Amino acid sequence: MRSHDNRAWFLLLPALLLLGVVGALPLLAVINYGFHDIFTLQDVHWVGIDWYVDILGSDRFLASLGRSLLFSTLALTIQVPLGIAVALLLTSYGRRAVWGLMLCALPLVVPWNMIPMLWLGLIDKGGGLLGPGLASLGFDWKFTAWHTWALILIVDTWHWLGLVVVLAYAGLSAIPSAYCQAAAIDGASRWATFRFIQLPRITGALAIVILLRFVDSFMIYTEAFAINAGGPSDATRFLSIELGEEIKGFSYGQAAARATLYFLIVLAVVWAFVMATRQSEDT
Amino acid sequence: MIRAAALLALAGFILLPLAQAVILSFTATLPTEALAAGTIGLMNYRNVLAAPELRAAMVNSAVYVVLNVVLCIAVALPAAYALARYRFVGDRHFLLLILVFRVTPPVVLSLPIFILFAQLGLVNSPVGIALVHCLFNLPVAIWILESFIRAVPRALDETAFLDGHSTASFFFRFLVPEIAPGIGVAAFFCFIFSWVEVVFARILTVTAGKPITMAINAMFGFQTDLGLVMAMTCLSLLPGVAMIWFVRNHLARGFTLRA
Repeated sequence: MRSHDNRAWFLLLPALLLLGVVGALPLLAVINYGFHDIFTLQDVHWVGIDWYVDILGSDRFLASLGRSLLFSTLALTIQVPLGIAVALLLTSYGRRAVWGLMLCALPLVVPWNMIPMLWLGLIDKGGGLLGPGLASLGFDWKFTAWHTWALILIVDTWHWLGLVVVLAYAGLSAIPSAYCQAAAIDGASRWATFRFIQLPRITGALAIVILLRFVDSFMIYTEAFAINAGGPSDATRFLSIELGEEIKGFSYGQAAARATLYFLIVLAVVWAFVMATRQSEDT
Repeated sequence: MIRAAALLALAGFILLPLAQAVILSFTATLPTEALAAGTIGLMNYRNVLAAPELRAAMVNSAVYVVLNVVLCIAVALPAAYALARYRFVGDRHFLLLILVFRVTPPVVLSLPIFILFAQLGLVNSPVGIALVHCLFNLPVAIWILESFIRAVPRALDETAFLDGHSTASFFFRFLVPEIAPGIGVAAFFCFIFSWVEVVFARILTVTAGKPITMAINAMFGFQTDLGLVMAMTCLSLLPGVAMIWFVRNHLARGFTLRA
C-alpha cells in the first residue's frame, strides 16, 4: 500500500509552479479585471459588482445559458450511450478492435478550426458529396434553427465520439474475462451483463468522459461560430459566443466578469460531480 | 450481420468528411491560365510546399507541440510517481486542483494570459504556446502516468534502492523503461490536444510564429483556393495519424477520473 510521506510534495513542485504561472495567476487576474472598467491598461476604474449585476439581470444571458445547457445535455445524451455502444461492439472483435479504435480516434487529430470547414464543404450545395442530396430534402442549416442545431450536434459528435469510445473501451477491456464468463454461465442476458458487471466497472472512465464532454460542449465556440455565428436569429447563440463578442468589442472588464461567471458555473458542476462520484465510491 | 453493418455505418460517418477533404486536396479549385478548374493532380501539395509561410507554419506547430509534450512528461513524471506511491497531506486536493485546471475553458483565461505573456516577452514565440498548453495537458499526463506507475509493483522501487541506485538513476533506468507505453499514451494525448488547439494558439501569435491552424485560417479570403486549404489540412493530419499508429496497441489504457 502507499506509505505516508509529506516529502512527496517536493515531487509535485514543478507541476505546481507551472500550473501557478499558466493557471492560477491568470485566473486571479481575470477575477480582478471583472471588478474594473478597463479602457486601456493605464485607464482602469473600480466598478465593484456592476458588471455582474448587468450580466445576471439580462435576459440574453439567461437565454444563452439555457441554450448552452440544452446543447450540453443533448451532446451528452447522444455521445455517451453511442460511444459505449461502439466500444461494446469493438470488444467483440478481440485483437482486431485496434483498427476500430484508430478509426474512431481519427477526428480527434483534426485541427479544431478545420472541422467546421470539412463539414461545410461536405454539405455544400455546389461541390459537396452530401450537398445536393441534403438540399433536395430541404435541409437548410443557414436559416432553419433546428437544422443548425442538428448540424452542430452532428459535427460535435463526429469530433468527440472517438474520445468516448477510446476511454469506454479502455474501461471495458480492463474487466477480467472471468467476470463475463461467470455471468454467461449463470445465464445472464446481454443487457444484465452490461448493467450489473460492465457498467459499474467503467464508471471511473465514464466520469472523466462526462466531465470533459460537459465542459467542452458547454463552452463550444469554434464549431458553432464557424457554422452560423450564433444564428439564425440567435438560435445558436451559446455562452462562449457572447463572451467572444465582448472580447472582440474590447469591453475587457465586462468580458472578464463574464469569464469569471462561466468559470464559477463550470466549477460548481465539476464540484457537484466529484462529490457525487466520491459518495458512490465510498458506499 | 448487424454488427458489421453498424461498423460500416460508423466508418462511413467518420470517413466521409475526410474523404471530401482528400478529394478536394487533389483537385484544382481555382482556375489559372495553365490549369482548368477540376483538374486532378498533386499541384495543391506542390503549392503548399512551395509557400514559405506555410512551411514555416508547419515548423512552428511542430516546435511548440514537441516542446509541450517534453515539458508535460518531464513535469508530470515526478508528480505522478508521488501520487502513485505516497499518501500525503493534501494529495486529494492536488488531484482536485489539476482537475479544475483541466476543465477551465481556455477562453476564460485568454485575456490575462495574453497580457502576462506580453510582459514576459513570450508572445509570438512557440515557447509561450508550449507553456500555456500545459494548463490542460499536464493534468491528463499526470492521470495517465499515475495509473501506469500504480500498475508497477513496489518491489521494483525497493530492489533498485537496495541495489544502491539513486532516485535519478532509478527513474531513468528502471521506472521509465517499465512504463514506456504509458509515456507513449500520455505523449499521444498531449500531442493531439496541443496540435488541434486554436484559442491560445491564435491569441499568442499576433504577428509571427503562426501555427498551421492559423495559417489555414489566413488562407481564407476574397478568392479562397479551397483545394490548397484542403491540401494543407490533409498535411496537418499526418503527424496525428502517425501518433495514432504508434500508440495503437496501448491506446486502450486511456485515463480515468482521479479526484
